[in-house]
Amino acid sequence: MTDEADILFALIRARYAARLDAAQLEELRKTVEGIVRDVATLRAASIPDDAEPGQPFVPFRAAS
Amino acid sequence: MSGAFRTIRELGADIRAGRVSPVTLAEACMKRLETVGRALNAVVTVTRERALAQARRVETELAAGHDRGPLHGIPYGAKDLLATSGGIPTTWGAAPFRERCFDHDATVIRRLEDAGAVLVAKLAMVEFAGGMGYRQPNASFTGPGISPWAADAWSGGSSSGSGSAVGAGLVPFAIGSETWGSILGPATYCSISGLRPTYGRVSRHGAMALCWTLDKLGPLALTADDCGLVLDAIAGPDPRDATAAERAYRYEAADGERRFRFAVVRGTVEASEPAVRDGVRGALETLRELGTIEEITLPDRPYEPMARMILWAEGASAFERLIEGGTIQGLTAPEDRVIPYARDAILAKDYLRALRLRGVVAREIDAVLAGFDAIVGPSRGTAGPRLGTEFRSAIRGSVPDVLGAIGNAAGLPAVGVPCAFTVDGLPVGMQFLGRAWEENTVLAAARAWQARTDWHQRRPGA
Repeated sequence: MTDEADILFALIRARYAARLDAAQLEELRKTVEGIVRDVATLRAASIPDDAEPGQPFVPFRAAS
Repeated sequence: MSGAFRTIRELGADIRAGRVSPVTLAEACMKRLETVGRALNAVVTVTRERALAQARRVETELAAGHDRGPLHGIPYGAKDLLATSGGIPTTWGAAPFRERCFDHDATVIRRLEDAGAVLVAKLAMVEFAGGMGYRQPNASFTGPGISPWAADAWSGGSSSGSGSAVGAGLVPFAIGSETWGSILGPATYCSISGLRPTYGRVSRHGAMALCWTLDKLGPLALTADDCGLVLDAIAGPDPRDATAAERAYRYEAADGERRFRFAVVRGTVEASEPAVRDGVRGALETLRELGTIEEITLPDRPYEPMARMILWAEGASAFERLIEGGTIQGLTAPEDRVIPYARDAILAKDYLRALRLRGVVAREIDAVLAGFDAIVGPSRGTAGPRLGTEFRSAIRGSVPDVLGAIGNAAGLPAVGVPCAFTVDGLPVGMQFLGRAWEENTVLAAARAWQARTDWHQRRPGA
């Protein structure tokens, strides 16, 4: 388990351990490790500095 | 006349010729939904009262010369994440919501009613459209969806009932939704046609939100042509959904003499399990009769992690109250009561990185697709997972699905069609993935495929 996965799993455990048993916590630990692996892959991908998220915010104004 | 396994066009001709009435047709469908549909775990609610009222109305209209078009009098089923008024429950496939009702109809439901279609059933689905991370078929309070092709095979998810109800000939078409694989998956495993429209082509108003930037609604039907007829009725702008595009859509069904330019992404066929790989390879040989096929490579990008990050982060937020409030403890699949908690580990910066990368990918893929009518490949890399076993899923990272990740993250249209069977008799599907807003192009390719082959005309046994 990486340091990052360790820290993030500690956060999950702090929030939800009271409602989970040991086997469920172990499943969560593995899931967090998978997320951290995906994140590492994403962070390694080159993205232009000016690349923006695809969803432009649209100011709202009611019709009336 | 039962109407089973008859296409929308065939039934429409029967209705207009007086060979069958909309009321008789609706009754026949509901009878089979109550028997065969229940046995396949495909049905949540048979909407008898509403169906008969609608059927009588359109029957009267037709007698008076008022024809609403190709869907006039045609029965259909809707995935149970589409809101319906009139005391019809909308359960999202989740036990905690089995009695929950809305006071309005989803835009898609309204548009189909305007087109004269008759809602005969709310169809089963994986709880919360699979967004909690399920990994085996038994993830709905209605039980695991069963494929019409084998009693021990899964119908696919999350539009499980939409797939098996059409595949078993219980309704001529159904509405499903796809965030990642939920239309093309059931279409494959039930050996029918399924259309995932461009993101924003169809209003999501009144549909359960799993991921706001990935969710799409679309038809499952016996033919690609029927999918086009349904899309024509449900597509278009909607002031109730800001993400519904301001683009009109008209289905173009005319088939002229046309040669297609197809691309196959290197490695996507080989990454499938052997039975699927062999089926799709055979299909590609036939496809060469319709045009050219060029093998291509795509830019080296983390397509699946990108799509997963968006799905998980948006799903965690969309269901935040249900996750943190404990509602998920009432779900059917044990893993669905646990895995959602892990999504708190996703940092905002990483989610935004996935969104930014998606913009880059969308441009790169569009540039690739500009040279072709469609990218073709397997609809699913696996064939008919068995009930009671864990299946492999790109959403969990246990199987590759480059086309699914790109198609859904970039919001591109794809139509899935039957293209083979395994030696065990389980269906194999092929998809045509096109440029944004090119539903008519991918549907034309799928129609040409179905004019050349008979996979879509094969029917499951009793």
